[in-house]
Amino acid sequence: MLQCIFLLSDSGEVMLEKQLTGHRVDRSICAWFWEHALSQADSSKLQPVIASPTHYLFQVLREGITFLACSQVEMPPLMAIEFLCRVADVLSDYLGGLNEDVIKDNFVIVYELLDEMIDNGFPLTTEPNILREMIAPPNIVSKVLSVVTGNSSNVSDTLPGATASCVPWRTTDTKYANNEVYVDLVEEMDAIINRDGILVKCEIYGEVQVNSHLSGLPDLTLSFANPSILDDVRFHPCVRFRPWESDQILSFVPPDGQFKLMSYRVRKLKSTPIYVKPQLTSDAGTCRISVLVGIRNDPGKIIDSVTLDFQLPPCVLSADLSSNCGSVNILSSKKCSWSIGRIPKDKTPSMSGTLVLETGLERLHVFPTFEVGFRIMGIALSGVKIDKLDIKNLPNKPYKGFRALTRAGEFEVRA
Amino acid sequence: MAPPAQSNRSPSPSQPSGKSEVSDLKLQLRQLAGSRAPGVDDSKRELFKKVISYMTIGIDVSSLFGEMVMCSVTPDIVLKKMCYLYVGNYAKVNPDLALLTINFLQRDCKDEDPMIRGLALRSLCSLRVANLVEYLVGQLGSGLKDSNSYVRTVAVMGVLKLYHISALTCVDADFPAVLKHLLLNDPDTQVVANCLSALQEIWSSEATTSEEALRDRETLLSKPVVYYLLNRIKEFSEWAQCLVLELVAKYVPSDSNEIFDIMNLLEDRLHHANGAVVLATTKLFLHLTLSMTDVHQQVYERIKAPLLTLVSSGSPEQSYAVLSHLHLLVMRAPYIFASDYKHFYCQYNEPSYVKKLKLEMLTAVANESNTYEIVTELCEYAANVDIPIARESIRAVGKIALEQYDVNAIVDRLLQFLEMEKDYVTSEALVLVKDLLRKYPQWSHDCIAVVGNISSKNIQEPKAKAALIWMLGEYSQDMQDAPYILESLIENWDDEHSAEVRLHLLTAVMKCFFKRPPETQKTLGAALAAGVADFHQDVHDRALFYYRLLQYNVTVAERVVNPPKQAVSVFADTQSSEVKDRIFDEFNTLSVVYQKPSYMFTDKEHRGPFEFSDELGNLSIGTESTDTGVPGHRVEANDKDLLLSTSEEEETRVPSNNGAYNAPSYDSSLVSIVASQPQSDLLSTNTVVPSSASQSSFAIDNLLGLGVSVTPALAPAPSPPPLNLNPKAALDPSTFQQKWRQLPISLSQEYSMSPSGVGALTTPQALLLHMQSHSVHCIASGGQSPNFKFFFFAQKAEEPSIFLVECVISTANSKAQIKIKADDQSVSQEFSSLFQSALSKFGLP
Repeated sequence: MLQCIFLLSDSGEVMLEKQLTGHRVDRSICAWFWEHALSQADSSKLQPVIASPTHYLFQVLREGITFLACSQVEMPPLMAIEFLCRVADVLSDYLGGLNEDVIKDNFVIVYELLDEMIDNGFPLTTEPNILREMIAPPNIVSKVLSVVTGNSSNVSDTLPGATASCVPWRTTDTKYANNEVYVDLVEEMDAIINRDGILVKCEIYGEVQVNSHLSGLPDLTLSFANPSILDDVRFHPCVRFRPWESDQILSFVPPDGQFKLMSYRVRKLKSTPIYVKPQLTSDAGTCRISVLVGIRNDPGKIIDSVTLDFQLPPCVLSADLSSNCGSVNILSSKKCSWSIGRIPKDKTPSMSGTLVLETGLERLHVFPTFEVGFRIMGIALSGVKIDKLDIKNLPNKPYKGFRALTRAGEFEVRA
Repeated sequence: MAPPAQSNRSPSPSQPSGKSEVSDLKLQLRQLAGSRAPGVDDSKRELFKKVISYMTIGIDVSSLFGEMVMCSVTPDIVLKKMCYLYVGNYAKVNPDLALLTINFLQRDCKDEDPMIRGLALRSLCSLRVANLVEYLVGQLGSGLKDSNSYVRTVAVMGVLKLYHISALTCVDADFPAVLKHLLLNDPDTQVVANCLSALQEIWSSEATTSEEALRDRETLLSKPVVYYLLNRIKEFSEWAQCLVLELVAKYVPSDSNEIFDIMNLLEDRLHHANGAVVLATTKLFLHLTLSMTDVHQQVYERIKAPLLTLVSSGSPEQSYAVLSHLHLLVMRAPYIFASDYKHFYCQYNEPSYVKKLKLEMLTAVANESNTYEIVTELCEYAANVDIPIARESIRAVGKIALEQYDVNAIVDRLLQFLEMEKDYVTSEALVLVKDLLRKYPQWSHDCIAVVGNISSKNIQEPKAKAALIWMLGEYSQDMQDAPYILESLIENWDDEHSAEVRLHLLTAVMKCFFKRPPETQKTLGAALAAGVADFHQDVHDRALFYYRLLQYNVTVAERVVNPPKQAVSVFADTQSSEVKDRIFDEFNTLSVVYQKPSYMFTDKEHRGPFEFSDELGNLSIGTESTDTGVPGHRVEANDKDLLLSTSEEEETRVPSNNGAYNAPSYDSSLVSIVASQPQSDLLSTNTVVPSSASQSSFAIDNLLGLGVSVTPALAPAPSPPPLNLNPKAALDPSTFQQKWRQLPISLSQEYSMSPSGVGALTTPQALLLHMQSHSVHCIASGGQSPNFKFFFFAQKAEEPSIFLVECVISTANSKAQIKIKADDQSVSQEFSSLFQSALSKFGLP
């Protein structure tokens, strides 16, 4: 169980402190943590679980805010981390993003939320729908409302109905004039292309995201045209397991609003939509670099937001890079980024230039790795297709919308 | 120590420096306190907000306590909440003023809005002021009976808070019994979950003094309770599910049908969106099937996909926690993950601690079919920008080579590394080539050709230099200019800062001398002279030793320094399998992340999940009444812990019995650390043994362990009487399993079996009858020729003390490997000899 949660700003300042048990955790632990964090060169390389001299620390970094939890007793590490992630999700959902100012402005709400999310060091509820009924989010609507009605409390008067209902993620009395439900397939392609240009690993991590605005207690059934290609699946608690096991059908009563219905993996894909061909040739202290990017297997949809990021090795003194398409930026940290945008039909984007090496170095021994970004609207590259969505328990026909999107996840090409 | 954030802030003009602002606030609050003007709540809110923000940034606003309480008479719930927060923060330092708040909190506890009732009750319990407990009891009592589940949820946690303030009051009010009733009857699962966590905590700490609590705690693990919880598991919140799963992991099912029932019921938990649930389920499955080898295997197959998905979804922090667990599983059963090796390929922008885990996994899963691809991948990392990872990956290539898969291709790769002209790459590769040659001397020809081209001037790192020098000495007959390279190295003796290198240099020159005396004689003289004059004790001694050895007899010297060598077949593992097993037992805990069992990094104070010490420097002295016949386990563990912290590579020793306690010679640094620990820590003995055995798990499964701890304390005889075993000992399998999990290994040995014994061992049954005649009973056996595995137990004649034995017999090499666990560790040595003599009589007519 957790003993204390701190929220630290990106300068290490304690923005918020929530003691959870009778055993007070002194603030000095934050100072220790911050020193430890500074001693690591790169803050993103800081381990999520750290043993300090007095406590075990779990830390999660989101948008510059460090969520730090302390414990002196054994507990499942993933539980602590998972909980901190949920806290971050809920806060960012409530406050419309995370940053130092928004937390300082709304710290009362943050306290209220933490109060309901964890008691005596043990997580209670992190379901956003339930929390929203206990504590109203500080949005513009409620601000306007409070001015109009004169009731400025952001705590609702009633207890959430869901706590008593048999579907804990949903209230029974949701009402919409226009019933609508949107299903999005969002996929990320992870791939590694090695030095010889061979695709050594390619898989897709996908999510089915649902945005539901439906009245009452609707019962939904979603089926795929080709469920057999899914390698492993994880479900939102609302999904009934039996129908999936027997017929690969997702049957569920959805929470209200946006939620992640399911996530899946598809392994062993054979090709990528685009190719990246880097070439490096060293000669007498300089290195010629040229990179070609193009469409390999046309997915039939527009590929846009194509970017290429790479870190030059430390032994490179200076670089001169230019491209025939898009723009190339070199940061002082020797990070280069080439943003291509949409791949044009008439020409193949290419970038070329020379790298000047440290004196005394003849050839380049350490090679950059190119991280590729792209986005394709309207298609799920894994090939997963939604067959149909049936909705029961609803008086009138709702509007149903489907979308698909594939983007690059960890897509890297080694030179 | 003041947080720097605070000290930095004080000079800043925009931030309040403290005093004047606080007194200002005090004034304003006072004005508002009595006012009933419209809009007063809004201004109060602003003020409260200010007060709390001061509190948050660390300014002491406790002097406003009275004013805050006065202002808190309000229907506004946000104001109330802020006030509760404030009061909760300062009540402990202001117990007298806290009394002021009781009144309004008590009134709020009777509010008609359940939300306010709940909040007030929570705040009331969070005051944690000892002299206010009398007010708590009544409110908690009615809170537990409240019609609203929210209030009941809060009240249950309140009981636990009360218990920590005053255990006596809590027990006297009979709250544990009420919670027990709620646990089994409340319709709301959150109430049930809170009852479960509260009762576990209360009963565990009560169990040390009360028999009844011990029994109560036992009932939590009884079949009806466990089944009741399992049947409702889908109704629980995801976090509560973790709690239930954790509890079920300690339940010992009576037969395999039960195990399958539980697993079938929980199958879908592996698809849960919450990673913590998935991992808790994984732990449960693995532990349930520990004794069923085939099913255990299937479980691995089954959990593989969910865990791999968890790694690729979620934030980097989550992936890391999952990956640590995956790492443990891969190390235990690499062959199961052999086809998934691509999941362990490193991504460029992953943090290096993740890459390190992945490299280790890649090394582990390498087998005949995937070695080529894995090594190709690893070689790409060698040109990585991240130098530590580049080094790690070269080491990984070497490790795979030493595992004997497709060495041909790997040796070529390693030799390519040597030519890469990157100093760290060359260094790592040299060390590896050295290890490789020790295992595969047949490769010396190819390697030496390449190594000979490396100039020793380019090698800076001591380890690499030592490796190069070793090769120069070992293969001086094949390397044309070995004596001359050594000569130039000796000339620069004074520039060589590493003693390790100088030691190797001495030995290498000696070896070279035996192979090519005329060319080396002069160099040897110079080396010995330099060595004898060296300020480093070891170098000096070795040089002197060589010198005298040569003086005595050159042929003897050659036999000592350069004997014919056998190729090394297996390199020692850095972590003993015992330690790995312990970590596995502690699956889904911090132990996995640290890759150490909890006894290596946790104070005994914090073993149990529910014990706190207020200050770490002030460790409570729990075990003063200990005898002096110190069973070494805890001390041993402690000592090991310290050793490990100074050098990671220290081989972990198998915990032995008390004899070992006196043996370790502490070096000075060790002593200083030990001395800084409170004396009680070193002396704490018997009572600690069981807690160290079950530290990871909630103390709840400590039932047997606790019974055990009493036994040795009652019999403080320093020299135990000769060991007699009870010929009619009985133990049911579930108790055996539980004990096996809890107890540490007190002895682990290997015996040679007599040929007649091996001959007689055709079926496991043969040995069973024989051992039974020696009062050692078998609880499970299996295997067929040439490998058998047995689990035995025995009981002391007069005492309930039990010995557990795992015995693996391989008839192929006539060896028996034996692990003994014992309630009373002090006599495990005697038991071991008894067992051995019984075993040696097997097969004799």
